[in-house]
Amino acid sequence: MFHLYRVRLRSRLLQECFAVIGIAAGVGLLFASQIASNSLSSSVAQLSQGIVGSAKLQVLARDPRGFDQGLLSSVRHVAGVRLAAPLLEANANAVGPRASRSVELIGADESLTRLGGTLVRHTRLAPFGGVGAIVMPGPLARGIGVTRFGAEATLEIGGHVSQAPLYKQLSAHEIGPLIDTPIIVAPLSFAQEMAGLRGRVTRILVTPSPGREQAVRVALTQLAHGRLNVTSTNYDEQLFSKAAAAANQSTVLFAVISALVGFLFAFNAMLLTVSQRRRLIADLRRDGYTPRAVIGVLLLDAAVLGTVGCALGLVLGDELSIQLFHSNPGFLSSAFTVGSARVVGAQSVAVAVAGGMLAAVVAVLSPLRDILSRDPLAAIAPRQLAATRTVTRWRTALGALFVAIAVATLLAIPRLAIVGMVALTCALFLWLPLGLDATLASIARLARKVTSAVPHIAVSELRAGRSRAVAIAATCSIAVFGSVSIQGAHGDLQHGLENAAHDMNAFTDVWVSPAGSFNLLMTQPFPATSLARLQHLASVRQTSVYRGGLLDWRERRIWVIAPPSTARPLIPPSQLVEGNLAAAGTHVRAGGWVVLSQALAAEHHLHIGDSFTLPAPRPSTFRLAAVSTNIGWAPGAIVMNADDYMRAWGSPEPSALNVLLSPGTAPAQGRRAIERALGTGSGLTVQTAGQHADKQHTLTRQGLARLSQIATLILAAAVLATAAAMGAMVWQRRPRLAKLKLEGFSPRELWGTILLESVLLLLVGCAGGALLGLLGQQLLDRALASVINYPVVRSVALPTALAALAIVTAAALAVLSVPGYLAARVPASLALQD
Amino acid sequence: MLELRELVKHYELVGGETVRAVDGVSLSVSAGELLALYGPSGSGKTTLLLMVAALLEPTSGSVLVDGRNISTLSERDASQYRLSELGFIRQSFDLLPGVSTLDNAVLKLLKNVPWREAHARMKPLLERLGLGKRLDQHAETLSMGERQRVMIARALSTEPRLLLADEPTGSLDTQRSHEVLGLLRELCRERGVAVVLVSHDPLAAGYADRVLALRDGRLDGHQPGGTPVQHSVG
Repeated sequence: MFHLYRVRLRSRLLQECFAVIGIAAGVGLLFASQIASNSLSSSVAQLSQGIVGSAKLQVLARDPRGFDQGLLSSVRHVAGVRLAAPLLEANANAVGPRASRSVELIGADESLTRLGGTLVRHTRLAPFGGVGAIVMPGPLARGIGVTRFGAEATLEIGGHVSQAPLYKQLSAHEIGPLIDTPIIVAPLSFAQEMAGLRGRVTRILVTPSPGREQAVRVALTQLAHGRLNVTSTNYDEQLFSKAAAAANQSTVLFAVISALVGFLFAFNAMLLTVSQRRRLIADLRRDGYTPRAVIGVLLLDAAVLGTVGCALGLVLGDELSIQLFHSNPGFLSSAFTVGSARVVGAQSVAVAVAGGMLAAVVAVLSPLRDILSRDPLAAIAPRQLAATRTVTRWRTALGALFVAIAVATLLAIPRLAIVGMVALTCALFLWLPLGLDATLASIARLARKVTSAVPHIAVSELRAGRSRAVAIAATCSIAVFGSVSIQGAHGDLQHGLENAAHDMNAFTDVWVSPAGSFNLLMTQPFPATSLARLQHLASVRQTSVYRGGLLDWRERRIWVIAPPSTARPLIPPSQLVEGNLAAAGTHVRAGGWVVLSQALAAEHHLHIGDSFTLPAPRPSTFRLAAVSTNIGWAPGAIVMNADDYMRAWGSPEPSALNVLLSPGTAPAQGRRAIERALGTGSGLTVQTAGQHADKQHTLTRQGLARLSQIATLILAAAVLATAAAMGAMVWQRRPRLAKLKLEGFSPRELWGTILLESVLLLLVGCAGGALLGLLGQQLLDRALASVINYPVVRSVALPTALAALAIVTAAALAVLSVPGYLAARVPASLALQD
Repeated sequence: MLELRELVKHYELVGGETVRAVDGVSLSVSAGELLALYGPSGSGKTTLLLMVAALLEPTSGSVLVDGRNISTLSERDASQYRLSELGFIRQSFDLLPGVSTLDNAVLKLLKNVPWREAHARMKPLLERLGLGKRLDQHAETLSMGERQRVMIARALSTEPRLLLADEPTGSLDTQRSHEVLGLLRELCRERGVAVVLVSHDPLAAGYADRVLALRDGRLDGHQPGGTPVQHSVG
C-alpha cells in the first residue's frame, strides 16, 4: 500500500501540493476563527483563576464602594473556613509619561498569596517600610511608560488622584497568560488609600475545609444579611458569559461559516485530484485489487495530505490570529477585566484538525460508489452530467422546506437563529445547482443572438465540469451569505446602538465623570465636592447628579442608569418596547418605579405595574413602569431616577455630573470653562454630550470590530479559495484549450471564455449567497432584538449585499485573470500530445 | 493545393544532440485528393502535421497552401488560417460533454456565423453523416463511430480547403473504420478538399489516392492508393 502510494505521489506531485495548500488554507481559517472566539472568555477565566487560586467561595460587594473590612474576621471565624483573603478591586485610570490606560486596581494582602493564584505567586503584597508601591504586567508598564523601579504612575480612581511608585514589572514567566491583562496590583492598605476607601474591601475569597463548602456557604450567606452576594469563585466567568452571549453567539456563527468556507476550500482543492484518483481506482480494480484495498490506499492518501495540510494550516492560523484577530474586548472592558492575550486551546486545535482531515477523507472517498461497484472501470465510465428532473424536483422541494424552516424560526423562535442560518445554508447548497443550470440555460439562449463562440464554449465547459463548478460557486456563495448576514445585522445593531447612545446623551450638554473608559458606564462613584464649583459658573445654567453603575443580579451584570429627576427625556424614547413613554416617565420621575429591559422583565416574570425587589446594596422594592431594549448592554439595563439610586445604594456620591449650559454657550466653550473651574488633578474628565456619545460609539464599534474582521476575512478567504480553485481548474484544462486553439480559436478568445466562465460562476454563487444572506440578516436582527434585546434598527442590507457581490466577483476575477491569461497562451501542440 | 518544399524541423536536445524530426520532406496534395501518410512512432508524422497547421515553425523549407507560405503567418493570421482554411480530425474526440451533437458540430462555425444560421448549415451535413436522429443527443451518449463523425462534421463546418486527419480510426473497430474512412473520402471528393491522413491503420490506404511512408523524418517510398499498406510500413 505504501509502495503504491509513493509511486502515485511521484507522478502527480503538483496536484498533491495544491491539495495540501488548500487544506492548509482551510484549516488555517478555521483555526484562526476558533482562537478568536475562545480568547475572550478564556482571558476572563484566566484572570479570575489567577486571582482566586484555591478559593471556592467569595463574599462580594454589590457596589464599587465595597463593605467594611471588619467582616473579614467574622468570615475567618466561620467554622470550616480554612483561608480567607480580602480584596479591593477598583476601576482606575493609570497615567504615565507615555500614555494612559484603563486598568483594574487589585489591592490584596499576604493572605491572597496563600491561595496560590498565578497573579500573586511571585508578588510581595506587604508594604515595604510602610511605603506603598505597585506591580503591573510588563506590557502595561511599557505602554504607559513607567518601567523603572520607583518610577511613579498617576492613578485616577473615582475622582481621587494618587502617585504610585512602581515596585516591579511582572513577566510572562511569573504570571503566565495574565501578562496581557490590564491590572495593577498593590498592597491592600495602599490600594484603599488610593481609592479613598480606607477600611473597605469589595471581595473576600474563602477556601473552605474539605467537605465543608455547603456549610460555609450557608454561614456566609447569613453574615451577608442579604446586602452582599455569596457566590462561587467562578461567578465572574458566569457573568461574563452572559454579557458576552451576543458576541459569542455571533462568533459561533462566524466560526461555523468560516469552517464551511475552510472545508469547501480544502474540499475543492482535493477535488482537483479526483480525475487522477478515478484513473488510479480503475487501474487498481483492473489489476485485481479489492475495493477494500483501494479504499485503504485512498485513506492513506487522505491521511498524508490531511496531516501535512493540517500542520501547515495550524501554523498559518496561528499567524493569522496574531496578525488579524487581536482580541478587542471593547465595551465589555467597561464591566469586566479582559486581557488581550490570545488563548490557543486544545479544543481549537482539535476542531481545526478534524475539519481538515474530514475534508481530505470526504474528498478522496467521493468516488466511493464507483470503488464499490462491480464494474472495475466504473470510476472512469462516462457519467450523467445534468441532473434528472426528479433530482431537480427534490432539490427544489427540499430547498423550499429549509427556507420555510428559516422563516418559521424568524417568525416564531428567533432564539434558534443559528438553526435558521444552518437551514438557509442547506437551502443554498440545494438551490445553487439549480441556479447554475438556469443561468447556463439563459446564457445559452442569449448566446444564440450573438455571433461568437465564446459564450457557447463557456456554457459548455461549465456544463461539462458541473460538479466542480457547483463546488466553486458554493464556496463564494457561502462566504457572501455569511458576510451579508453578519455585516447587515452588524450595521443594524450599530445603528441601533448609536440611537441608544444619542438618547443617553440627550438630557445633558456636558458630562463630568471620573477618567478612563471604564467610567463610560459610570461605575466609579466620586465625592460631590466639585458640584458647588460649577454651579456658579456663568456658562452653567443647571447642574445635577447622575448616578449609575453595574449591579450583579443573578447571572447578569446589569447596567443601572439613574439620571436626575430633572432630566428630559428621563427614559430613552427610542428604546421603549412596551408601555407608555409619557406615563412611564412621570412614574420614574416621581420615584419607586423603574424601566427594565425585556429579557430581565421576562426572566423575573414581571409585567407593567408589578412590584419586585432589586438586590441592590440596600434591597429595595420597585414597580415596573415600562419595558425597554437593553440600551446597548447585552445582559440588560434598568432605568430609575438618581434619588431612588441613592436610597438603594445607600450613598449620595454621584457617578457623573450633568451640566446644562446657559443659552448661547457653545458646548466646547462650556467644557473649557468647566475644566478650568475643576482645575488640574481633579481626576475628572469633562466631555460634551457629543464627545461622550462619540466615545460610546467607539467602544461599541470596538466591541463589534471582531465581527467585521471575521466577515472580511471570510470574504478574503472566499476570494482566494474561489480564485485558486478556478485557477487550478483552468490550468488543468490546458490540453482542452490547446484543442480549441487547434480549431482556430485565438488566445484572446480563450481568455475571454475563461473569464466569462468565472464571471458566471461567481455571479451565480454570490447572487445566491447575497439573496439568502439578506434573509439571514433578518434572522440575526430578530435574534439580537428579541433574545438579547439589542436596540436593532431593522433594514435590508442591499448595499452590503451588492458590495460583497461586487468585491468577491471583481477580486476573484482579478486574481484569476493571470493564470487564465497564461493558460490561454498554451501551445496548440499540446493538443497532439496525448 | 498543399505543397511542402524541402521541409525540415530539427530539435536541439540538452546534451547538444540534434534530432531531425522532419528532414527535407517535399510533397504536394491536390484539391480532392486523399493522401495517406504512414510511419512508425517517432517518424515525424505529428511534427509534419504541426507545421502544416501553422503551429510549429520549420527550421527550413516552406509550407504552401494555395501558393501562400503559411510558415510565416502571424499568430492571429495562423488562427484565422486554422479556423477557415483548415480542418483537423483527431483520434481523441474533442467533443464537449453535456453538449448536443449539433452544438458540438457548429462550434467552429459559431465564431463568424450566427447560431441559427450555423445550425441550419450543419444539419444537412450531419444528416449526411448519419447523425440526423442524434442531433440533440449529448456527446457522451454517442458511440465511438458517431463521435468521430461529429468531429468530421466540425472539421468540415467552415468548408476548409485542407483537412488534416491524425489517426482518425485509432479508436474504432474495423466496420466503423470503413464507415468513417468511406465518408471522409466521399465528402472530400465532393467538396474538393485536400486530405492528409496520418495513420497506423492499414485500412486507410484502401481509401487513399496516394500512400506515402515516413521514416526517421524522411519520405521512404510510396505506392498508389486503393490497397491496404504492408504492416511493415505502418
